[in-house]
Amino acid sequence: MWMLALTAFACGAAAAEESAPQAAEQESPWRLGIALGYGMRSNPLVQSDDIPIVVDLDIAWFGERFFFDNGDLGLTLADNRAVTASLVARFNSDRVFFGNTDTRFVSADLAGMPLAEATEFTVPDRDYAIELGLEFLLDGSWGQLQFTAFHDVSSTHDGFEIYADYGYGWRSQRWYVEPSIGLSYKSSALNDYYWGVRDDEVSVVLPPYQADAGTNAHARLMLGYQISRNWSFSLVAEYEHLNDSAAASPLVDEQDILGYFAGFGFRFR
Amino acid sequence: MRLSVKPMLCIIDKRTPLCELAFLVAWESDHDGYYCLFNDFREAPLRCWNDARDGQLDDERSVDQSFSYWMTGDDGDNRLAMVAVEVLRMDTDDRRRNRRTRHVWDIN
Repeated sequence: MWMLALTAFACGAAAAEESAPQAAEQESPWRLGIALGYGMRSNPLVQSDDIPIVVDLDIAWFGERFFFDNGDLGLTLADNRAVTASLVARFNSDRVFFGNTDTRFVSADLAGMPLAEATEFTVPDRDYAIELGLEFLLDGSWGQLQFTAFHDVSSTHDGFEIYADYGYGWRSQRWYVEPSIGLSYKSSALNDYYWGVRDDEVSVVLPPYQADAGTNAHARLMLGYQISRNWSFSLVAEYEHLNDSAAASPLVDEQDILGYFAGFGFRFR
Repeated sequence: MRLSVKPMLCIIDKRTPLCELAFLVAWESDHDGYYCLFNDFREAPLRCWNDARDGQLDDERSVDQSFSYWMTGDDGDNRLAMVAVEVLRMDTDDRRRNRRTRHVWDIN
């Protein structure tokens, strides 16, 4: 009898050793964070300023079907072991460069030829496009893949973009490293809207230009250190190579876009 | 009573689902006495010290959830000091939370 009791006690003790001391945390549908630091993203446009990154907000909400992720609105159509597929509405990101340009008096055109007299020149403005598309997310021990295909639904550029990104992360306790690479195909309509020069924009400074379709390439390296439950420190470097057709535009000064950020992030948990 | 535990934060994910660590637990009191060290995993003390004012213990453990260490004195009921060890799960079953966004700092 006492052997039975001892066995029961031992089993109980073993179970207690393995049992969870606290209930597992329920994942909040919200993801809220803020990052403070210093960073920069170069601007490929002529007569433009680099884009500073000092404060960055992260506001996202993930429901069973719908989600909001920093301006993107999504409806999840399928979610299974193989893939998560969603219908997503978003703003096109190419427009961001056109918000950091200057107006200057120039004495040469954009090809470098001298002008008869100094002429005021402003980089033409471009609108944000609202795009609707499909997004496919896959992951496994091999890493993470993201495929997207978006089309303009705001009659802004009437083009489309197909995007693929692959990333693989390594974690060693508080340290995390994740390189990622990808490609982005931009249709001729999209490319021409942002990087082309239309007839009504042509001047002695700016020659006409029609951009064709092209493929951008990008790479990113992220190094993170988790300081505490809420605080982390991150170093990120990004590189994007503009497609040749966009880079040949007289509006473009640099084919390569470089970005970096170093800062502290706070995440509400 | 001062109680310290190193490390106090352990991070797990799908590839590393358990924290397999040796936690260094150290305590110090202003007075000599009878003190016992407990944690959430068992009702019996991990170790007791008689007529001591400090001590330490290496506690090797595999955990996947947050837990606490605490010290008691003669009466065995009152917790004189307590330290929580946080186990932080950094991955998610929701792939959408790992979407590429414009947030360069995100290390989720």
